[in-house]
Amino acid sequence: MSTEENVLKAKQKLIEDHDPSTASTTASAQKATSVVGVSKRFGKTSVLENISFDVAEGEALVLLGASGSGKTTILRIIAGLEQPYTGHVILHGRDVTELPARERGVGVIFQSYALFPKMTVEKNIGYGLKIRKRRRKEIRETVNELLSLVQLEEHRKKFPSQLSGGQQQRVAIARTLAYKPEVLLFDEPFGALDTQTRVHLRREIRALLRKVNVPAIFITHDQEEALELGDRVAVIYKGHIEQIGTPFEIYNQPATEYVATFLGAANILEGVVRNNSVEVGPARLSVQLDKQKFKDGECVKIIFRPEDVSLSKTDFVRPGHHKLSTAVIEEVSFVGAYERLRLQLDKGAADTCTTDDSAFFLTTETPEARSTQSIIATRPKPEATMTKLNAGERVVVAITSFTVLPLNQKQPNQK
Amino acid sequence: MMLPLVFLPLVSIFVFGMRNGLDKFWGALTAQEAVFALKLSMATSFWATVFNVLFGLFAAYVMSRYNFWGRNALIVTISLPTAIPTAVAGFALLLLWGPYGTLGRFLAPHGIQVMFTAGAIILANIFVTFPLAFGVIKPVFDTMNRSLEEASATIGATRWQTFWYVTLPSLRGAIVSGALLTFARAVGEFGSTILVSGNLAGRTQTAPLYIFAKFNEGQIEAANAIAIVLALFSFLIFSVLFFARDWLDVD
Repeated sequence: MSTEENVLKAKQKLIEDHDPSTASTTASAQKATSVVGVSKRFGKTSVLENISFDVAEGEALVLLGASGSGKTTILRIIAGLEQPYTGHVILHGRDVTELPARERGVGVIFQSYALFPKMTVEKNIGYGLKIRKRRRKEIRETVNELLSLVQLEEHRKKFPSQLSGGQQQRVAIARTLAYKPEVLLFDEPFGALDTQTRVHLRREIRALLRKVNVPAIFITHDQEEALELGDRVAVIYKGHIEQIGTPFEIYNQPATEYVATFLGAANILEGVVRNNSVEVGPARLSVQLDKQKFKDGECVKIIFRPEDVSLSKTDFVRPGHHKLSTAVIEEVSFVGAYERLRLQLDKGAADTCTTDDSAFFLTTETPEARSTQSIIATRPKPEATMTKLNAGERVVVAITSFTVLPLNQKQPNQK
Repeated sequence: MMLPLVFLPLVSIFVFGMRNGLDKFWGALTAQEAVFALKLSMATSFWATVFNVLFGLFAAYVMSRYNFWGRNALIVTISLPTAIPTAVAGFALLLLWGPYGTLGRFLAPHGIQVMFTAGAIILANIFVTFPLAFGVIKPVFDTMNRSLEEASATIGATRWQTFWYVTLPSLRGAIVSGALLTFARAVGEFGSTILVSGNLAGRTQTAPLYIFAKFNEGQIEAANAIAIVLALFSFLIFSVLFFARDWLDVD
């Protein structure tokens, strides 16, 4: 599955990002854009509920969500193309909620780029200054600067229809940079492009944003894109923010099951809290838990990613790994850069928590079916070639890291 | 089929017109009344076109940008003149503006006479060509990418600037086509004009009325000369519409 492969790549990039020399220093920086308690209704349907977040100077925030989650509406409210039902939009300390789009000074890069078809590249870029009645000389100079910034000097006399998708997008960005926008808003910026161009453009835009140091808000439904583009990611689900955090946090410490599964493959097992550990079948996974949130004896979900699973033929478990169970390998498949295995955990491993919560998908089957559970594991190539594993073999399953969530998450976490 | 139905009648205008030589043709064309009729047709059609293009633009903008109660009814009303016989249109105008008409009766005591003037011809032309420009411009508005206008607004343009710099250039082709269609139709208008103009030679006689009048008087040559001019004129407009389409719609 290529999505899993992409997640793996994206995860590697996360690790690079966490190198302190490149880490963003936005935590304490000034708030460039704030959305405070915004909600929106269309008729009687509520599409946004109490959305709040800040974007710091020079920061890139990604609003990640499935289609219909309300993410585009958030963007349009910030741009002034839509009015919120309640709440405020604040740009550099100025409350712009009541201002029309044209007085806000935000730059919107539309999914279709929305370049003016009858204007050349130059004219498109100069449009913002022209309507501000700037001098011709000033317009020419700014346009020249921006053309060289986005490397389109030789295309200046062309019309948008004569440019490639990537070039059009650069024109669209330059057109907004011309009037020094308060914030750049990207609506599904790579939606219309093929995968290769998309990956390439993504890196280009990130480099460009670093150069110009303008805060940016991206909208996407593509988790890989979100992890790679964002200094922080907000996962939007049914009109509210499920979780907001760095890509590392979102991916490795998902606050809800939705976040965990939306950002990639996730294994979910049930367990019971027993002072400073979670019992999953016969296994005891020691973990520091918030005593306020989790009580002794409470049923919980533990969530871990396929790449967090470590397999070995012997009973030796490496320090720091948590032994989970023994299992039988059901299926081994090669998925390009890594190997993917489906494992069936031995009886008893999954059956700790005797709730009858039919809403939980792992317990919807009969008790017999419940006691045998499949999980997915992935192994990087070097390991896969060093220790060959075949279907039918028995292995010891350990996990390197996991997240504990309450079993019944009634209300998603609204921070 | 095309030959006897369309092509041959047109050819015969030219054959008959030229039969007595170019001198005669030229003489018939430059007769004072003939020149006046042509000029009057051009002038009245021009003003009707200006009005209907501006109105069509405005109406198309409102109808495609705003959704309001009774919008469809209004669209039907705007398009109605296409289906109304031109004689009925002329008669209706007479009943409204004529000396004993619904409105005209209040104007007459003040010495204001609307009918039987060039103004009446313009009114008749406006009425019968009313939906043409609207019909050409509205579909372009409907299919226009809304995000262009939104982009312009977020960049900082006022509504007027957006309309002038972004919307209007995209409508250029439709406006030109709409104007040419309106003009061509107005120049040839007969049924309504003959009722409202009074058909006074040298005062309110348009080119098609001139053809009719001269034909009735038996002056076939005079009628034929103007017929040739009108035919050529419509060829010209339709070739512009046909060949200039690509040029007008270049993106």
